[in-house]
Amino acid sequence: MDKHMNRRECLRALGLSGLTAGLGLTGAPASHAQGVGESSGFQSSVIDAHKVQDMRTAATIVDGKVIQPQRELPILHQTDVLVVGGGSAGVVAAIAARRAGASVTLVERYGHFGGLWTGGLVVLIIGHIVKGGKQVCQGIGEEMMRRLDKLDGAIIDRRPGVSPTVDAEAAKYMMVEMIEEAGVDVFLHCWGVDAIVTENTVRGVVFESKSGRQAILAKIVVDATGDGDLFAAAGAEFEHRSHNVGLVSRIGNLDRVDAEKAGQAPKPRRLGSATPVPGVNWVNLTGPEVDGLDIATLTQMEMNHRKFIWNNVQRTRQTPGYEKVYLVETAPQLGVRITRILNGLNRVRLSDLREATKFPDVVGVGGSSGATHGEWQIPYGALVPTKVDNVLAAGRCISVDMGMADLVRLVPNCFVTGHAAGVAAAVAVRDNCRPRDVDIAKVQKVLRQQEAYLG
Amino acid sequence: MNNPLEPNSESGRTEAARRRRIRWLVRVSSLVVAIVLLLAARQTRWPVLVPALSPFVAAGSILATRAFAVTACLGLAVGLIAMLRPRCFCRWVCPLGLCADGMSYVGRRCGRKPAKLPSIGRWIVLLTLASACLGYPLLLCLDPLTMFSGAFGIAESRTGWLTALPLLLVLTTSFVWPHIWCSRICPLGAFQDMLAYPLRRARQARNQAGGNRSSSRWNPPLARRTVLGVAAGAALAGIARSSQGSTPRPLRPPGAIDEPEFLGVCVRCGNCARACPTHIIEPSLGRHGPAGLLTPILHFEESYCLVDCTKCTQVCPSGALVRLSPDGKASRPIGLPQVDMSVCLLAESRECTECGRWCPHAAIRYVWSETEYTLTPEIDAQKCTGCGACEAACPTKPNKAIVVVAFENAASG
Repeated sequence: MDKHMNRRECLRALGLSGLTAGLGLTGAPASHAQGVGESSGFQSSVIDAHKVQDMRTAATIVDGKVIQPQRELPILHQTDVLVVGGGSAGVVAAIAARRAGASVTLVERYGHFGGLWTGGLVVLIIGHIVKGGKQVCQGIGEEMMRRLDKLDGAIIDRRPGVSPTVDAEAAKYMMVEMIEEAGVDVFLHCWGVDAIVTENTVRGVVFESKSGRQAILAKIVVDATGDGDLFAAAGAEFEHRSHNVGLVSRIGNLDRVDAEKAGQAPKPRRLGSATPVPGVNWVNLTGPEVDGLDIATLTQMEMNHRKFIWNNVQRTRQTPGYEKVYLVETAPQLGVRITRILNGLNRVRLSDLREATKFPDVVGVGGSSGATHGEWQIPYGALVPTKVDNVLAAGRCISVDMGMADLVRLVPNCFVTGHAAGVAAAVAVRDNCRPRDVDIAKVQKVLRQQEAYLG
Repeated sequence: MNNPLEPNSESGRTEAARRRRIRWLVRVSSLVVAIVLLLAARQTRWPVLVPALSPFVAAGSILATRAFAVTACLGLAVGLIAMLRPRCFCRWVCPLGLCADGMSYVGRRCGRKPAKLPSIGRWIVLLTLASACLGYPLLLCLDPLTMFSGAFGIAESRTGWLTALPLLLVLTTSFVWPHIWCSRICPLGAFQDMLAYPLRRARQARNQAGGNRSSSRWNPPLARRTVLGVAAGAALAGIARSSQGSTPRPLRPPGAIDEPEFLGVCVRCGNCARACPTHIIEPSLGRHGPAGLLTPILHFEESYCLVDCTKCTQVCPSGALVRLSPDGKASRPIGLPQVDMSVCLLAESRECTECGRWCPHAAIRYVWSETEYTLTPEIDAQKCTGCGACEAACPTKPNKAIVVVAFENAASG
């Protein structure tokens, strides 16, 4: 199969893999099966049922236990670098790897890019600067900011030393543009559920979608799931941590607050912070410290937070002058902060932040809100699992201690680790070596060519 | 004081001139050495040597703290010399004396005349030592060596210029009324005179026995005035101790002794402020009561008390800061942080865990309240040393949401 495929070719490959699977199912390509344009109004045509169902085997019950029978999975696609997770780390990783010359496929669970940055409405770009105001998040992250600068109403507070706030929709749009320009193959609405592993080496990813369970084979997998779903599935060592799980919301009509009526009375709490949309604020919510991998807990969080946010806005509306304030939306994605943390070849510790440790294998420099911390270097070893090969971590799940978790998960720092993982994956593919054996000097050189800041 | 040599003989005159030259050389050298010692504050414990030379400080702090610090040996040694050779220290070593003499010389050249003043230095000594017995040495900070040391804190902190005021006052006094500081006011000089009294008395008795009657201006130690001075000192000490109460307790450097006594024992030499590598010690402007003027207080706006640092306790000459080891420091908390949730970003559901991240003892955790639907920083008093890292890290302005507060009753060991 070709290294570079566009999406149409991918779909064709999907059909072919179904045929070559030897199950005797006759499935014609989707475009041949429907009679398009034969009647007026919206079209609804019958698609070959076998096409959708191919290679599926239902689970069954054996001795009271639910058993998933052994089955072959269709190979949807093959690629050099497979990035799982299209959040702030994954998108940057995909673009970086593609620009570094690899064929790249990006798999995203939701229908948009940006993950918690956009879908979680964590629209504050906090963590791109250090004490003194110097900006350490450069490279593709900064390129994104510049593209948002050019869009109308996409970003505010782009002054040096200040944390900007973006509009989530503008960021989603901007990332679609960048991904397309870079030539990254994308599968949205695909949830990476398992790693394909032989001899402690990751060969690809199994993912679930409306098309069923399928496989993508890859030379290197970048785990940008945030939760470390892939490295965990591959058998890498990790720590499972609890952290606060919240839900961000946006409220509107703050520009229509009646100041005269409000008078000198204390302002309602949790009015949030300004966004690029006039009169609309985004409101954070920390939430209790829970296990962000437990589905019952996540469900409860979603429901509790939804109730609280609604009632809190009602309380705000009862405050004189604030009657017109309303709830614009709650974030589509629950604000899970930290779950799995990789046990990497190296680990960034809080002491490294305090002592400004310099790593010879530095692949990025992290920042903070800018008030208290200096530059902190991110070593390549923090992205590489100890035992499993051909998978790299990017984003909030890289190898850090608990004290650093609240910094590593910030959006700009996810840009930085994503950038590093993407470039390292591409270099490993080009040199045909394991990520742990990659030539760090080459990775650093390519990162610098892509305008990343390495201290 | 009197040149034993015959002043009129030729050889006597040259000999006197030679001795004066040597004495000037020694005095200037002493001044230079003192300045070098005090400027070495950040690197070493040497600055402690300057105020520690004072027997007045040594006696006052031993009486007040009922503890004997090694540095007090220096002061006691100087005291012993003073018994045998009255005012020897003043004439040969005292760096402030040289400065005061210089100003007196300028004053005299400008036509200023010495004023007539009773010796108040002795009163200062009596008041201070008597009150020291009650744990509150009232005027210990008038010691010239501590005032000289204090002036070196001028560039150390926002209020550092204040520490130079006492020295400036002495110099001004010396200019306006030449020589009045050393001869009439200086408690260190007066204390030396008092120490020399027994031997001088004995010598006088011998002279009197030889028929040479000379009236002495020195009163016996148990004269009425002495008793009066001691009583006044005791009374004032009592008043000073009880006048605390309402004002909030200031935050003191680690190892500080209990609060009412601290005000007395601290000689305001500024050594601690100059030794502090993070510049968190500054002289008080008297916000915690006028008695605390120039005493060291901590401020954590920008930095905090480093875990392994005990430098301030090493350079304290008076025992106001008990010498600590890093381990000992951990068991003597400076204070306890208190959180103001009306300021804390967490109450607004903002994303902030700065205080917890900077806490060197992992003493802060964030507790979720289901009713408030917010996180609150909670401090583990067992782990906390009151180092102020949390306060320094807190990003809220102008008021910090987390502020270290001194204990109501100082938690001394």
